[in-house]
Amino acid sequence: MIGFDKAGKRFGTLDAVKEFSMTIKDEEILGLLGPNGAGKTTLMLMMGTVYRPTSGKISVNGLDVVQHPNDVRKMIGIAFQDPRVDGILGAFDVLNWHLKMTTNLDKAERETRVEKVLKAVDLWEARNKRTWLMSGGMRKKVEDCKVLAQRPKIAVFDEPTAFLDVPSRLLMWKMIRELRDEGSTVIVATNMMDEAERLSDRVAIVNLGRLVAIDTPEQLKSKTKGGEVLELTLGDGQECPTDLLTQFSEVQDVTQESNKVTIYLSGGRLLLPKIVETLTNRGVKIDSVHLKEVTLEDVFLNYTGHRLE
Amino acid sequence: MSSSTIQVTDSSELSAQTTSRLVLQMARRDIATLFRTPWIIISRSLAFIIQLFVFAYLISGLVISYPDYFRYYAVGAVVSTVASISFIIGYDIFEEAEEGLLDYLLTLPIPRREFIIGRALGGAVRAMIYTIPMFVIVAVLENFANPLSLIGAVLDLFLIAFGVTGLSITVAVSVRSANRFDVVLALLELAVTRASTALYPLNFLPAYVKVFAPFSPVTFAADSARAALTGLGLDVLGLVGLLAFVAIFLGLGATFYFRRLEGGVYA
Repeated sequence: MIGFDKAGKRFGTLDAVKEFSMTIKDEEILGLLGPNGAGKTTLMLMMGTVYRPTSGKISVNGLDVVQHPNDVRKMIGIAFQDPRVDGILGAFDVLNWHLKMTTNLDKAERETRVEKVLKAVDLWEARNKRTWLMSGGMRKKVEDCKVLAQRPKIAVFDEPTAFLDVPSRLLMWKMIRELRDEGSTVIVATNMMDEAERLSDRVAIVNLGRLVAIDTPEQLKSKTKGGEVLELTLGDGQECPTDLLTQFSEVQDVTQESNKVTIYLSGGRLLLPKIVETLTNRGVKIDSVHLKEVTLEDVFLNYTGHRLE
Repeated sequence: MSSSTIQVTDSSELSAQTTSRLVLQMARRDIATLFRTPWIIISRSLAFIIQLFVFAYLISGLVISYPDYFRYYAVGAVVSTVASISFIIGYDIFEEAEEGLLDYLLTLPIPRREFIIGRALGGAVRAMIYTIPMFVIVAVLENFANPLSLIGAVLDLFLIAFGVTGLSITVAVSVRSANRFDVVLALLELAVTRASTALYPLNFLPAYVKVFAPFSPVTFAADSARAALTGLGLDVLGLVGLLAFVAIFLGLGATFYFRRLEGGVYA
Protein backbone atom coordinates (compact mmCIF):
# COMPACT_ATOMS: atom_id res chain seq x y z
CA MET A 1 0.00 0.00 0.00
CA ILE A 2 1.21 3.49 -0.81
CA GLY A 3 0.16 6.41 1.34
CA PHE A 4 0.43 10.14 0.71
CA ASP A 5 -0.25 12.09 3.88
CA LYS A 6 -0.53 15.83 3.27
CA ALA A 7 2.50 15.54 1.01
CA GLY A 8 3.81 18.68 -0.64
CA LYS A 9 6.65 19.72 -2.91
CA ARG A 10 7.72 23.29 -3.38
CA PHE A 11 10.15 24.44 -6.07
CA GLY A 12 11.20 27.95 -5.14
CA THR A 13 7.91 29.80 -4.77
CA LEU A 14 5.88 27.28 -6.75
CA ASP A 15 3.85 24.61 -4.97
CA ALA A 16 3.96 21.77 -7.48
CA VAL A 17 2.10 19.51 -5.04
CA LYS A 18 0.24 20.71 -1.97
CA GLU A 19 -1.47 18.94 0.96
CA PHE A 20 -1.84 15.78 -1.09
CA SER A 21 -3.41 12.83 0.72
CA MET A 22 -4.26 9.57 -0.99
CA THR A 23 -3.95 5.81 -0.50
CA ILE A 24 -3.09 3.44 -3.32
CA LYS A 25 -4.19 -0.15 -2.74
CA ASP A 26 -2.05 -3.20 -3.44
CA GLU A 27 -2.39 -4.79 -6.85
CA GLU A 28 -4.59 -2.11 -8.36
CA ILE A 29 -4.10 0.09 -11.37
CA LEU A 30 -4.49 3.67 -10.25
CA GLY A 31 -4.87 6.26 -12.97
CA LEU A 32 -3.55 9.72 -12.12
CA LEU A 33 -5.57 11.97 -14.37
CA GLY A 34 -4.76 15.61 -14.77
CA PRO A 35 -3.62 18.25 -17.25
CA ASN A 36 0.04 18.94 -17.98
CA GLY A 37 1.58 20.69 -14.99
CA ALA A 38 -0.99 19.29 -12.55
CA GLY A 39 1.76 17.72 -10.44
CA LYS A 40 1.43 14.09 -11.54
CA THR A 41 5.10 13.62 -12.39
CA THR A 42 6.23 15.38 -9.21
CA LEU A 43 4.01 13.02 -7.19
CA MET A 44 5.56 9.99 -8.84
CA LEU A 45 9.10 11.26 -8.48
CA MET A 46 8.53 11.95 -4.79
CA MET A 47 7.22 8.43 -4.38
CA GLY A 48 10.22 7.14 -6.34
CA THR A 49 12.59 9.06 -3.98
CA VAL A 50 13.96 11.29 -6.72
CA TYR A 51 12.50 14.40 -5.08
CA ARG A 52 12.23 14.76 -1.34
CA PRO A 53 8.83 16.04 -0.18
CA THR A 54 9.01 19.48 1.40
CA SER A 55 6.04 18.72 3.65
CA GLY A 56 3.93 15.77 4.74
CA LYS A 57 4.77 12.08 4.45
CA ILE A 58 4.82 9.42 1.79
CA SER A 59 5.10 5.73 2.64
CA VAL A 60 5.52 2.76 0.36
CA ASN A 61 4.56 -0.60 1.84
CA GLY A 62 5.05 0.90 5.29
CA LEU A 63 8.42 2.45 4.53
CA ASP A 64 8.85 6.21 4.70
CA VAL A 65 10.41 7.45 1.46
CA VAL A 66 12.68 9.89 3.28
CA GLN A 67 13.79 7.50 6.02
CA HIS A 68 14.27 4.42 3.82
CA PRO A 69 14.83 5.72 0.31
CA ASN A 70 16.90 2.83 -0.95
CA ASP A 71 14.51 0.18 0.33
CA VAL A 72 11.72 2.02 -1.45
CA ARG A 73 13.73 2.21 -4.68
CA LYS A 74 14.13 -1.55 -4.62
CA MET A 75 10.37 -1.92 -4.96
CA ILE A 76 9.71 0.66 -7.64
CA GLY A 77 10.21 0.89 -11.37
CA ILE A 78 9.41 4.12 -13.19
CA ALA A 79 8.83 4.56 -16.92
CA PHE A 80 9.16 8.27 -17.66
CA GLN A 81 7.00 10.37 -19.93
CA ASP A 82 9.96 11.37 -22.08
CA PRO A 83 12.17 8.33 -22.65
CA ARG A 84 15.22 8.44 -20.40
CA VAL A 85 17.57 6.15 -22.25
CA ASP A 86 21.22 6.35 -23.24
CA GLY A 87 20.95 7.39 -26.88
CA ILE A 88 24.17 5.63 -27.79
CA LEU A 89 22.81 2.26 -26.62
CA GLY A 90 20.46 -0.08 -28.44
CA ALA A 91 17.18 -1.22 -26.86
CA PHE A 92 18.68 -4.54 -25.81
CA ASP A 93 21.57 -2.92 -23.94
CA VAL A 94 19.30 -0.31 -22.33
CA LEU A 95 17.03 -3.01 -20.90
CA ASN A 96 19.85 -5.37 -19.99
CA TRP A 97 21.63 -2.65 -17.99
CA HIS A 98 18.38 -1.64 -16.33
CA LEU A 99 17.84 -5.24 -15.20
CA LYS A 100 21.44 -5.46 -13.98
CA MET A 101 20.74 -2.47 -11.73
CA THR A 102 17.29 -3.45 -10.53
CA THR A 103 17.21 -7.25 -10.30
CA ASN A 104 19.32 -10.16 -9.20
CA LEU A 105 18.76 -12.08 -12.42
CA ASP A 106 21.73 -13.86 -13.92
CA LYS A 107 22.90 -13.12 -17.46
CA ALA A 108 20.82 -15.84 -19.13
CA GLU A 109 17.66 -14.89 -17.24
CA ARG A 110 18.15 -11.23 -18.04
CA GLU A 111 18.64 -11.87 -21.71
CA THR A 112 15.61 -14.15 -21.87
CA ARG A 113 13.46 -11.55 -20.20
CA VAL A 114 14.71 -8.74 -22.45
CA GLU A 115 14.15 -10.88 -25.54
CA LYS A 116 10.63 -11.73 -24.45
CA VAL A 117 9.57 -8.16 -23.80
CA LEU A 118 11.19 -6.78 -26.95
CA LYS A 119 9.52 -9.44 -29.07
CA ALA A 120 6.19 -8.67 -27.43
CA VAL A 121 6.36 -5.01 -28.45
CA ASP A 122 7.80 -5.81 -31.87
CA LEU A 123 11.20 -4.25 -31.22
CA TRP A 124 13.32 -7.37 -31.36
CA GLU A 125 14.52 -6.77 -34.93
CA ALA A 126 15.59 -3.24 -33.95
CA ARG A 127 17.20 -4.31 -30.67
CA ASN A 128 20.68 -3.09 -31.61
CA LYS A 129 19.62 0.18 -33.23
CA ARG A 130 20.85 3.11 -31.16
CA THR A 131 17.88 4.59 -29.39
CA TRP A 132 18.65 8.15 -30.51
CA LEU A 133 18.05 6.93 -34.08
CA MET A 134 14.64 5.50 -33.18
CA SER A 135 11.26 7.15 -33.75
CA GLY A 136 9.43 8.72 -30.80
CA GLY A 137 7.10 5.72 -30.59
CA MET A 138 9.94 3.19 -30.56
CA ARG A 139 11.80 5.10 -27.89
CA LYS A 140 8.63 5.29 -25.81
CA LYS A 141 8.21 1.53 -26.09
CA VAL A 142 11.80 1.02 -24.90
CA GLU A 143 11.07 3.27 -21.91
CA ASP A 144 7.92 1.32 -21.02
CA CYS A 145 9.76 -1.96 -21.54
CA LYS A 146 12.21 -1.10 -18.77
CA VAL A 147 9.44 -1.50 -16.23
CA LEU A 148 7.70 -4.33 -18.08
CA ALA A 149 10.95 -6.33 -18.03
CA GLN A 150 11.79 -5.38 -14.46
CA ARG A 151 8.39 -6.54 -13.10
CA PRO A 152 8.68 -4.41 -9.93
CA LYS A 153 6.31 -4.58 -6.96
CA ILE A 154 5.27 -1.04 -7.77
CA ALA A 155 5.23 -0.08 -11.42
CA VAL A 156 4.86 3.55 -12.42
CA PHE A 157 4.10 4.62 -15.97
CA ASP A 158 4.04 8.29 -16.93
CA GLU A 159 1.94 8.71 -20.08
CA PRO A 160 2.73 5.15 -21.19
CA THR A 161 1.09 5.39 -24.59
CA ALA A 162 2.17 8.87 -25.68
CA PHE A 163 3.52 8.70 -29.27
CA LEU A 164 2.13 5.16 -29.73
CA ASP A 165 -0.23 4.12 -32.53
CA VAL A 166 -3.59 2.55 -31.69
CA PRO A 167 -2.54 -1.15 -31.87
CA SER A 168 0.53 -0.40 -29.77
CA ARG A 169 -1.59 1.45 -27.21
CA LEU A 170 -3.93 -1.50 -26.86
CA LEU A 171 -0.98 -3.87 -26.52
CA MET A 172 0.65 -1.67 -23.89
CA TRP A 173 -2.59 -1.56 -21.89
CA LYS A 174 -2.79 -5.35 -22.06
CA MET A 175 0.78 -5.72 -20.82
CA ILE A 176 0.18 -3.26 -17.99
CA ARG A 177 -2.92 -5.20 -16.93
CA GLU A 178 -0.87 -8.42 -16.96
CA LEU A 179 1.63 -6.77 -14.68
CA ARG A 180 -1.17 -5.94 -12.24
CA ASP A 181 -2.52 -9.48 -12.50
CA GLU A 182 0.90 -10.86 -11.56
CA GLY A 183 0.89 -8.85 -8.32
CA SER A 184 2.26 -5.42 -9.13
CA THR A 185 0.65 -2.22 -7.97
CA VAL A 186 0.49 -0.02 -11.03
CA ILE A 187 0.26 3.77 -11.20
CA VAL A 188 -0.44 5.31 -14.57
CA ALA A 189 -0.22 9.07 -15.02
CA THR A 190 -2.13 10.24 -18.01
CA ASN A 191 -3.98 13.16 -19.50
CA MET A 192 -5.91 10.89 -21.84
CA MET A 193 -9.45 10.26 -20.64
CA ASP A 194 -9.92 6.98 -22.47
CA GLU A 195 -6.66 5.63 -21.08
CA ALA A 196 -7.62 6.53 -17.51
CA GLU A 197 -11.10 5.08 -17.96
CA ARG A 198 -10.25 1.86 -19.77
CA LEU A 199 -7.06 0.96 -17.94
CA SER A 200 -7.59 2.02 -14.33
CA ASP A 201 -9.28 0.24 -11.45
CA ARG A 202 -9.52 3.64 -9.77
CA VAL A 203 -8.87 7.14 -11.04
CA ALA A 204 -7.41 10.00 -9.03
CA ILE A 205 -8.11 13.41 -10.52
CA VAL A 206 -5.26 15.81 -9.89
CA ASN A 207 -5.36 19.52 -10.56
CA LEU A 208 -2.99 22.32 -9.54
CA GLY A 209 -1.05 19.94 -7.32
CA ARG A 210 -4.08 18.81 -5.33
CA LEU A 211 -6.20 15.69 -5.26
CA VAL A 212 -9.64 16.62 -6.54
CA ALA A 213 -11.39 13.23 -6.48
CA ILE A 214 -10.57 9.54 -6.35
CA ASP A 215 -12.77 6.53 -7.08
CA THR A 216 -13.54 3.93 -9.72
CA PRO A 217 -14.36 5.45 -13.11
CA GLU A 218 -17.96 4.22 -12.74
CA GLN A 219 -18.38 5.74 -9.29
CA LEU A 220 -16.86 9.02 -10.37
CA LYS A 221 -19.27 9.19 -13.27
CA SER A 222 -22.29 8.19 -11.23
CA LYS A 223 -21.46 10.79 -8.60
CA THR A 224 -21.29 13.46 -11.25
CA LYS A 225 -24.66 15.12 -11.09
CA GLY A 226 -26.88 12.67 -12.85
CA GLY A 227 -26.05 10.23 -15.57
CA GLU A 228 -26.44 12.26 -18.72
CA VAL A 229 -24.97 15.37 -20.17
CA LEU A 230 -26.62 17.70 -22.62
CA GLU A 231 -24.18 19.81 -24.59
CA LEU A 232 -25.51 22.85 -26.38
CA THR A 233 -23.61 25.08 -28.74
CA LEU A 234 -25.11 28.56 -28.71
CA GLY A 235 -24.86 31.26 -31.32
CA ASP A 236 -21.93 33.66 -30.96
CA GLY A 237 -22.25 35.97 -27.96
CA GLN A 238 -25.33 34.21 -26.60
CA GLU A 239 -25.72 33.84 -22.83
CA CYS A 240 -27.56 30.90 -21.31
CA PRO A 241 -30.24 31.85 -18.74
CA THR A 242 -29.12 29.31 -16.14
CA ASP A 243 -31.90 30.09 -13.66
CA LEU A 244 -34.54 29.09 -16.19
CA LEU A 245 -33.00 25.66 -16.62
CA THR A 246 -32.30 24.85 -12.97
CA GLN A 247 -36.00 25.21 -12.21
CA PHE A 248 -36.39 21.73 -13.78
CA SER A 249 -35.86 19.13 -11.05
CA GLU A 250 -33.94 16.84 -13.45
CA VAL A 251 -31.31 19.51 -14.13
CA GLN A 252 -28.45 19.06 -11.66
CA ASP A 253 -26.11 21.76 -12.85
CA VAL A 254 -25.39 24.07 -15.75
CA THR A 255 -21.99 25.40 -16.79
CA GLN A 256 -21.05 27.64 -19.70
CA GLU A 257 -17.66 28.06 -21.31
CA SER A 258 -17.82 30.64 -24.14
CA ASN A 259 -20.68 29.42 -26.34
CA LYS A 260 -20.62 25.81 -25.02
CA VAL A 261 -23.25 25.02 -22.40
CA THR A 262 -23.08 21.79 -20.43
CA ILE A 263 -26.26 20.69 -18.65
CA TYR A 264 -26.01 17.76 -16.22
CA LEU A 265 -29.25 15.79 -16.14
CA SER A 266 -30.55 12.91 -14.09
CA GLY A 267 -32.92 10.80 -16.17
CA GLY A 268 -33.73 13.86 -18.18
CA ARG A 269 -33.72 12.42 -21.66
CA LEU A 270 -37.37 13.40 -22.04
CA LEU A 271 -36.56 16.91 -20.89
CA LEU A 272 -34.57 17.71 -24.03
CA PRO A 273 -37.45 19.21 -26.06
CA LYS A 274 -38.53 21.31 -23.07
CA ILE A 275 -35.07 22.76 -22.58
CA VAL A 276 -34.71 23.62 -26.24
CA GLU A 277 -38.15 25.20 -26.26
CA THR A 278 -37.47 27.23 -23.12
CA LEU A 279 -34.24 28.63 -24.47
CA THR A 280 -35.66 29.33 -27.91
CA ASN A 281 -38.61 31.16 -26.39
CA ARG A 282 -36.11 33.30 -24.50
CA GLY A 283 -34.52 34.21 -27.84
CA VAL A 284 -31.41 32.10 -27.34
CA LYS A 285 -30.05 30.84 -30.66
CA ILE A 286 -29.00 27.18 -30.47
CA ASP A 287 -26.60 25.94 -33.14
CA SER A 288 -26.35 22.32 -32.04
CA VAL A 289 -27.58 19.88 -29.39
CA HIS A 290 -25.79 16.75 -28.23
CA LEU A 291 -27.01 14.36 -25.55
CA LYS A 292 -24.53 11.81 -24.17
CA GLU A 293 -23.61 9.67 -21.17
CA VAL A 294 -21.31 11.20 -18.54
CA THR A 295 -17.62 10.64 -19.34
CA LEU A 296 -14.51 11.20 -17.25
CA GLU A 297 -14.07 14.42 -19.16
CA ASP A 298 -17.36 15.63 -17.72
CA VAL A 299 -16.23 14.45 -14.30
CA PHE A 300 -13.04 16.44 -14.68
CA LEU A 301 -14.92 19.50 -15.87
CA ASN A 302 -17.37 19.11 -13.03
CA TYR A 303 -14.67 18.95 -10.36
CA THR A 304 -12.23 21.51 -11.73
CA GLY A 305 -14.42 23.90 -13.69
CA HIS A 306 -12.38 23.52 -16.85
CA ARG A 307 -11.75 20.98 -19.55
CA LEU A 308 -8.68 18.74 -19.62
CA GLU A 309 -6.47 20.01 -22.44
CA MET B 1 4.61 -11.66 -21.91
CA SER B 2 2.82 -14.30 -20.02
CA SER B 3 2.14 -14.32 -16.32
CA SER B 4 3.11 -17.96 -16.13
CA THR B 5 6.69 -17.30 -17.13
CA ILE B 6 7.65 -13.97 -15.59
CA GLN B 7 7.24 -13.18 -11.94
CA VAL B 8 7.07 -9.83 -10.24
CA THR B 9 10.39 -8.94 -8.65
CA ASP B 10 10.45 -9.61 -4.96
CA SER B 11 12.07 -6.73 -3.09
CA SER B 12 13.66 -9.05 -0.54
CA GLU B 13 15.44 -10.71 -3.42
CA LEU B 14 16.97 -7.36 -4.32
CA SER B 15 18.25 -6.72 -0.83
CA ALA B 16 20.79 -9.44 -1.43
CA GLN B 17 22.37 -7.27 -4.11
CA THR B 18 25.64 -5.94 -2.80
CA THR B 19 26.07 -2.22 -3.04
CA SER B 20 29.61 -2.68 -4.31
CA ARG B 21 28.26 -4.59 -7.31
CA LEU B 22 25.97 -1.66 -8.12
CA VAL B 23 28.84 0.83 -7.67
CA LEU B 24 30.84 -1.17 -10.19
CA GLN B 25 27.87 -1.31 -12.57
CA MET B 26 27.56 2.45 -12.30
CA ALA B 27 31.28 2.85 -13.03
CA ARG B 28 31.13 0.37 -15.92
CA ARG B 29 28.38 2.41 -17.50
CA ASP B 30 30.70 5.43 -17.73
CA ILE B 31 33.62 3.30 -18.87
CA ALA B 32 31.50 1.61 -21.54
CA THR B 33 30.80 4.91 -23.27
CA LEU B 34 34.49 5.07 -24.10
CA PHE B 35 34.50 1.81 -26.01
CA ARG B 36 31.55 2.86 -28.10
CA THR B 37 33.69 5.62 -29.58
CA PRO B 38 37.13 3.98 -29.96
CA TRP B 39 38.13 6.55 -32.56
CA ILE B 40 38.44 9.09 -29.75
CA ILE B 41 41.15 7.02 -28.07
CA ILE B 42 42.92 6.55 -31.38
CA SER B 43 42.79 10.25 -32.29
CA ARG B 44 43.89 11.31 -28.80
CA SER B 45 46.82 8.88 -28.91
CA LEU B 46 47.84 10.15 -32.34
CA ALA B 47 47.64 13.75 -31.12
CA PHE B 48 49.82 12.81 -28.16
CA ILE B 49 52.39 11.12 -30.39
CA ILE B 50 52.55 14.20 -32.61
CA GLN B 51 52.86 16.46 -29.57
CA LEU B 52 55.66 14.33 -28.22
CA PHE B 53 57.65 13.74 -31.38
CA VAL B 54 57.23 17.16 -32.92
CA PHE B 55 56.69 19.73 -30.18
CA ALA B 56 58.52 18.11 -27.26
CA TYR B 57 61.38 16.88 -29.47
CA LEU B 58 61.94 20.32 -30.96
CA ILE B 59 61.61 22.20 -27.68
CA SER B 60 63.88 19.84 -25.79
CA GLY B 61 66.58 20.62 -28.34
CA LEU B 62 66.17 24.30 -27.62
CA VAL B 63 66.11 23.95 -23.83
CA ILE B 64 69.75 23.71 -22.85
CA SER B 65 69.53 24.79 -19.23
CA TYR B 66 67.50 21.76 -18.16
CA PRO B 67 68.98 18.28 -18.60
CA ASP B 68 66.78 15.82 -20.51
CA TYR B 69 63.78 18.08 -20.85
CA PHE B 70 62.19 15.60 -23.29
CA ARG B 71 61.82 13.03 -20.52
CA TYR B 72 60.48 15.70 -18.14
CA TYR B 73 57.91 16.81 -20.69
CA ALA B 74 56.87 13.30 -21.72
CA VAL B 75 55.91 12.22 -18.19
CA GLY B 76 54.22 15.54 -17.46
CA ALA B 77 52.24 15.36 -20.70
CA VAL B 78 50.78 12.00 -19.65
CA VAL B 79 49.79 13.44 -16.25
CA SER B 80 48.20 16.57 -17.68
CA THR B 81 46.35 14.46 -20.27
CA VAL B 82 44.84 12.17 -17.65
CA ALA B 83 43.79 15.24 -15.65
CA SER B 84 42.18 16.90 -18.69
CA ILE B 85 40.25 13.79 -19.63
CA SER B 86 39.03 13.32 -16.08
CA PHE B 87 37.13 16.59 -16.37
CA ILE B 88 34.78 14.99 -18.94
CA ILE B 89 32.65 13.32 -16.26
CA GLY B 90 31.43 16.77 -15.16
CA TYR B 91 30.18 17.50 -18.69
CA ASP B 92 28.47 14.09 -18.76
CA ILE B 93 26.66 14.71 -15.48
CA PHE B 94 25.60 18.22 -16.45
CA GLU B 95 24.25 16.92 -19.76
CA GLU B 96 22.40 14.07 -18.06
CA ALA B 97 20.75 16.51 -15.68
CA GLU B 98 19.67 18.72 -18.58
CA GLU B 99 18.33 15.79 -20.60
CA GLY B 100 16.52 14.25 -17.64
CA LEU B 101 18.53 11.02 -17.73
CA LEU B 102 19.70 11.79 -14.21
CA ASP B 103 16.15 11.45 -12.88
CA TYR B 104 16.11 7.91 -14.23
CA LEU B 105 19.48 7.04 -12.70
CA LEU B 106 18.23 8.32 -9.36
CA THR B 107 15.33 5.88 -9.37
CA LEU B 108 17.77 2.96 -9.38
CA PRO B 109 18.26 1.11 -6.09
CA ILE B 110 21.71 2.41 -5.28
CA PRO B 111 22.40 4.70 -2.30
CA ARG B 112 23.28 8.26 -3.34
CA ARG B 113 26.83 8.27 -1.95
CA GLU B 114 27.67 5.01 -3.67
CA PHE B 115 26.10 6.40 -6.81
CA ILE B 116 28.48 9.35 -6.71
CA ILE B 117 31.51 7.18 -5.93
CA GLY B 118 30.55 4.96 -8.85
CA ARG B 119 30.38 7.94 -11.20
CA ALA B 120 33.74 9.32 -10.00
CA LEU B 121 35.35 5.90 -10.23
CA GLY B 122 33.96 5.36 -13.72
CA GLY B 123 35.25 8.75 -14.84
CA ALA B 124 38.68 8.07 -13.38
CA VAL B 125 39.02 4.60 -14.87
CA ARG B 126 37.84 5.93 -18.22
CA ALA B 127 40.54 8.61 -18.11
CA MET B 128 43.11 5.95 -17.21
CA ILE B 129 42.10 3.79 -20.15
CA TYR B 130 42.47 6.80 -22.44
CA THR B 131 45.90 7.54 -21.09
CA ILE B 132 47.44 4.10 -20.71
CA PRO B 133 48.46 3.85 -24.41
CA MET B 134 50.27 7.19 -24.01
CA PHE B 135 51.89 6.03 -20.81
CA VAL B 136 53.10 2.87 -22.55
CA ILE B 137 54.59 4.92 -25.39
CA VAL B 138 56.52 7.06 -22.89
CA ALA B 139 57.61 4.03 -20.84
CA VAL B 140 58.96 2.26 -23.92
CA LEU B 141 60.58 5.40 -25.28
CA GLU B 142 62.30 6.31 -22.03
CA ASN B 143 63.00 2.72 -21.03
CA PHE B 144 61.04 2.81 -17.78
CA ALA B 145 61.05 -0.89 -16.96
CA ASN B 146 61.08 -1.21 -13.17
CA PRO B 147 57.68 -2.78 -12.25
CA LEU B 148 57.49 -1.01 -8.89
CA SER B 149 58.23 2.35 -10.50
CA LEU B 150 55.59 1.74 -13.13
CA ILE B 151 53.02 0.76 -10.48
CA GLY B 152 53.88 3.89 -8.47
CA ALA B 153 53.41 6.11 -11.51
CA VAL B 154 50.11 4.43 -12.43
CA LEU B 155 48.93 5.01 -8.86
CA ASP B 156 49.78 8.70 -9.24
CA LEU B 157 47.84 8.83 -12.48
CA PHE B 158 44.84 7.14 -10.92
CA LEU B 159 44.81 9.43 -7.89
CA ILE B 160 44.95 12.59 -9.97
CA ALA B 161 42.19 11.19 -12.19
CA PHE B 162 40.00 10.28 -9.21
CA GLY B 163 40.51 13.69 -7.59
CA VAL B 164 39.79 15.61 -10.79
CA THR B 165 36.56 13.66 -11.36
CA GLY B 166 35.50 14.73 -7.85
CA LEU B 167 36.40 18.34 -8.70
CA SER B 168 34.57 18.15 -12.00
CA ILE B 169 31.46 16.68 -10.36
CA THR B 170 31.57 19.43 -7.72
CA VAL B 171 31.55 22.09 -10.43
CA ALA B 172 28.86 20.29 -12.45
CA VAL B 173 26.46 20.32 -9.52
CA SER B 174 27.36 23.79 -8.27
CA VAL B 175 26.82 25.78 -11.46
CA ARG B 176 23.33 25.91 -12.96
CA SER B 177 23.77 27.84 -16.19
CA ALA B 178 25.11 25.72 -19.06
CA ASN B 179 27.22 28.56 -20.48
CA ARG B 180 28.70 29.44 -17.11
CA PHE B 181 29.41 25.77 -16.48
CA ASP B 182 31.33 25.44 -19.78
CA VAL B 183 33.42 28.53 -19.02
CA VAL B 184 34.13 27.61 -15.40
CA LEU B 185 35.15 24.06 -16.19
CA ALA B 186 37.33 25.08 -19.14
CA LEU B 187 39.13 27.72 -17.04
CA LEU B 188 39.54 25.32 -14.18
CA GLU B 189 40.95 22.65 -16.45
CA LEU B 190 43.38 25.17 -17.87
CA ALA B 191 44.40 26.39 -14.42
CA VAL B 192 44.86 22.95 -12.93
CA THR B 193 46.84 21.49 -15.80
CA ARG B 194 48.84 24.55 -16.93
CA ALA B 195 49.55 26.29 -13.63
CA SER B 196 51.58 23.29 -12.57
CA THR B 197 54.96 21.74 -13.07
CA ALA B 198 53.58 19.09 -15.41
CA LEU B 199 55.12 20.55 -18.55
CA TYR B 200 57.59 23.15 -17.29
CA PRO B 201 59.96 23.04 -14.31
CA LEU B 202 59.10 25.39 -11.47
CA ASN B 203 62.14 27.62 -12.03
CA PHE B 204 61.08 28.34 -15.60
CA LEU B 205 57.56 29.42 -14.71
CA PRO B 206 56.57 33.11 -14.54
CA ALA B 207 56.53 34.51 -11.02
CA TYR B 208 52.73 34.75 -10.82
CA VAL B 209 52.36 31.08 -11.72
CA LYS B 210 55.25 30.01 -9.54
CA VAL B 211 53.24 31.08 -6.46
CA PHE B 212 50.40 28.64 -7.17
CA ALA B 213 52.07 25.85 -9.12
CA PRO B 214 53.57 23.96 -6.13
CA PHE B 215 50.05 23.50 -4.72
CA SER B 216 48.45 22.24 -7.91
CA PRO B 217 47.32 18.59 -7.70
CA VAL B 218 48.78 18.08 -11.17
CA THR B 219 52.15 19.21 -9.78
CA PHE B 220 51.84 16.60 -7.01
CA ALA B 221 51.02 13.90 -9.55
CA ALA B 222 53.65 14.90 -12.11
CA ASP B 223 56.46 15.26 -9.58
CA SER B 224 55.48 12.03 -7.85
CA ALA B 225 55.29 10.11 -11.13
CA ARG B 226 58.67 11.46 -12.26
CA ALA B 227 60.22 10.54 -8.93
CA ALA B 228 58.85 7.02 -9.22
CA LEU B 229 59.84 6.48 -12.84
CA THR B 230 63.33 7.96 -12.64
CA GLY B 231 64.21 5.92 -9.57
CA LEU B 232 64.18 8.79 -7.07
CA GLY B 233 61.81 6.80 -4.88
CA LEU B 234 58.56 7.68 -3.21
CA ASP B 235 57.49 11.32 -3.29
CA VAL B 236 55.64 11.29 0.04
CA LEU B 237 54.64 14.94 -0.13
CA GLY B 238 53.21 14.47 -3.60
CA LEU B 239 51.26 11.37 -2.60
CA VAL B 240 49.87 13.01 0.54
CA GLY B 241 48.87 16.05 -1.52
CA LEU B 242 47.12 13.82 -4.03
CA LEU B 243 45.29 11.84 -1.36
CA ALA B 244 44.12 15.08 0.26
CA PHE B 245 42.95 16.35 -3.13
CA VAL B 246 40.96 13.16 -3.72
CA ALA B 247 39.43 13.21 -0.24
CA ILE B 248 38.47 16.90 -0.39
CA PHE B 249 36.92 16.99 -3.81
CA LEU B 250 35.30 13.59 -3.75
CA GLY B 251 33.79 14.55 -0.40
CA LEU B 252 32.76 18.00 -1.61
CA GLY B 253 31.42 16.62 -4.87
CA ALA B 254 29.42 14.02 -3.00
CA THR B 255 28.03 16.55 -0.53
CA PHE B 256 27.02 19.11 -3.17
CA TYR B 257 25.65 16.43 -5.45
CA PHE B 258 23.69 14.86 -2.63
CA ARG B 259 22.14 18.17 -1.59
CA ARG B 260 21.14 19.17 -5.08
CA LEU B 261 19.70 15.79 -5.87
CA GLU B 262 17.66 15.57 -2.71
CA GLY B 263 16.42 19.13 -3.16
CA GLY B 264 15.08 18.26 -6.55
CA VAL B 265 16.60 21.39 -8.01
CA TYR B 266 17.11 19.74 -11.37
CA ALA B 267 13.38 19.88 -12.00
